[in-house]
Amino acid sequence: MGIEFKNVSKTFGGATVVDDLSLRIDDGEFIVLLGPSGCGKTTTLRMLAGLESVTGGDIFINGGRVNDVPTQHRDLAMVFQSYALYPHMTIAENIGYPLRVRKLEKGERAERVKRVAAMLEIETLLERKPRQLSGGERQRVALARAIVREPRAYLMDEPLSNLDARLRVQMRGELKRLQHQLGTTTIYVTHDQAEAMTLATRVAVMKKGRLQQFDAPMNIYNYPANRFVAEFVGSPSMNFIEGRIENGTFVSDALQIPMGGLARGSQLTIGIRPEHIQVLSAPQDNAIAANVYVTELMGNETFVFLSVGTNRLIARAPADFRADLESTVWITITRDKILFFDPVSGERLGHG
Amino acid sequence: MTNKVEQSFRYLLLTAALLFALAPVYWMLTISLKTEVEQFAIPPPWFVFTPTLNHYYDAFVTRGFGNYLLTSAIVAITSTACALVIGTLAAYVLARFQLPWSLNRRLSLWILSTRMFPAIVTAVPLFLMMRDVQLLNTRVSLIIVYTGFNLPFVVWMMRGFFADLPRDLEEAALVDGDSRLGALVRVVLPLVSPGLAATAVFCLIVSWNEFLFALVLTQTDAAMTLPVGIAGRVTQYEIKWGVMSAAASVAIVPILVFALALQKYLVRGLSMGAVKG
Repeated sequence: MGIEFKNVSKTFGGATVVDDLSLRIDDGEFIVLLGPSGCGKTTTLRMLAGLESVTGGDIFINGGRVNDVPTQHRDLAMVFQSYALYPHMTIAENIGYPLRVRKLEKGERAERVKRVAAMLEIETLLERKPRQLSGGERQRVALARAIVREPRAYLMDEPLSNLDARLRVQMRGELKRLQHQLGTTTIYVTHDQAEAMTLATRVAVMKKGRLQQFDAPMNIYNYPANRFVAEFVGSPSMNFIEGRIENGTFVSDALQIPMGGLARGSQLTIGIRPEHIQVLSAPQDNAIAANVYVTELMGNETFVFLSVGTNRLIARAPADFRADLESTVWITITRDKILFFDPVSGERLGHG
Repeated sequence: MTNKVEQSFRYLLLTAALLFALAPVYWMLTISLKTEVEQFAIPPPWFVFTPTLNHYYDAFVTRGFGNYLLTSAIVAITSTACALVIGTLAAYVLARFQLPWSLNRRLSLWILSTRMFPAIVTAVPLFLMMRDVQLLNTRVSLIIVYTGFNLPFVVWMMRGFFADLPRDLEEAALVDGDSRLGALVRVVLPLVSPGLAATAVFCLIVSWNEFLFALVLTQTDAAMTLPVGIAGRVTQYEIKWGVMSAAASVAIVPILVFALALQKYLVRGLSMGAVKG
């Protein structure tokens, strides 16, 4: 049961948009397809919906191959980035549309529209037209139209990207509760790593049509498969330092980190999350001297942008941390949180 | 001050243009209401004359203009409806489906090309074809010809309206479980209805006014349209100005009423795509 992509490819003209994608999605999961624009995540979703043809490979829903099943018979519901509300219909008609085309009896239809509207707190809008609604309200209507029936899965294509920041965070939480409540398999496309981390049971990170990693959010964060994933997930982004191993010590310009026995090959890229760099105002054993490039006070914490020789690093510091620009501070790095990457392929090296 | 002068000048110009455009209509209306003596009086009685409805009576009761009017209405409405149904479906395919061998572009151009040569070029072959299938002097022949004549226009107009519509809406309808045709009827067509209305008005006007094919394909009262019927009052013995004017005045009315009724849509339809809603 669930949804499966088996070696699925999509080419437009000569360009490969999705390349040999294989994914197994279990029933009831909340899957996020994450990646920068043009990575093929939306195309993947549209292939599942039947809005794009599949060039190679197969897609299965509940064990049945759906490659040649037309969209209207796949029994999925989709929330579009533009919401795609029917402008000439009232909100009630919009929400009731999937029921109307299924020839559901009128009373029953009104009943279910009402129930869903109550669930999403839009009962008072039912007689209005979409253009009279705010962005957040339209978003709710689009959701209501999707959940008014019980489809085999919900597909969501960047549904929150047109909302302002505050509303987006609020809707994110509501989406999560809603999915938990309904228990329906959901596939959600976004380029926002925060949405991916907060919503997903598993995240599929894509780049240039290829799946990079498919795992639980914390594993993606802690054990990224490669440099691309490491860089894309987390904010501020992971620090990367190019260097080499010399006598059990990682050396890069003005920076030296002892690496007991972990050396593999001479050239190496290491990755450190900003929260694993501690910034100190006074020197300490094993601390590395760094120059303060700029500090950004975020309210609850401070991002410290540092330069160590030619290397640029970002560290998270407490909100009360103060340092003048161009002053010297000292940093220590949590040794066992350092990740190793192949400097050529970008693959993560080492255990785990 | 200059503003006032400028404005009066503007109105003056508009009035002149209006007079210029409406003068023949005024002339026709007055002729249809004048007795034959007054029609030829010199100087003509511009505004003051004794109105008479004799010519109307003559045209629609004594002569067969009522029947011509009916033929015109049947032919115009049926051919417009046919052209709209066929043309809209064709336009939807051209706008939304990627056909192989760049057929979208090629077919569109071929469809348009049928309007690029003078109508008289097709008049003779159409006459011969209609004679062979024994459709001369029938309303059906005119309906077929007018449908074909209006199709390219409908296809090109509607193709543009469809192309301007976001695909998301149809895709949402499909995901919601509707068929292609259902999505077209329930979602797409209501949204392009202003364009559809504007297109319909133009087709109707063209069919209503058409003269050449009607003249070639119909010679008897059985399927004579108003324009041909009116022209037929010019004989080698006499010219019935009064009857012709009366019939022509009546011929204006349906189009006028229809255009006024759809005026709201006409303006929106013609400017569709220019301003995003």
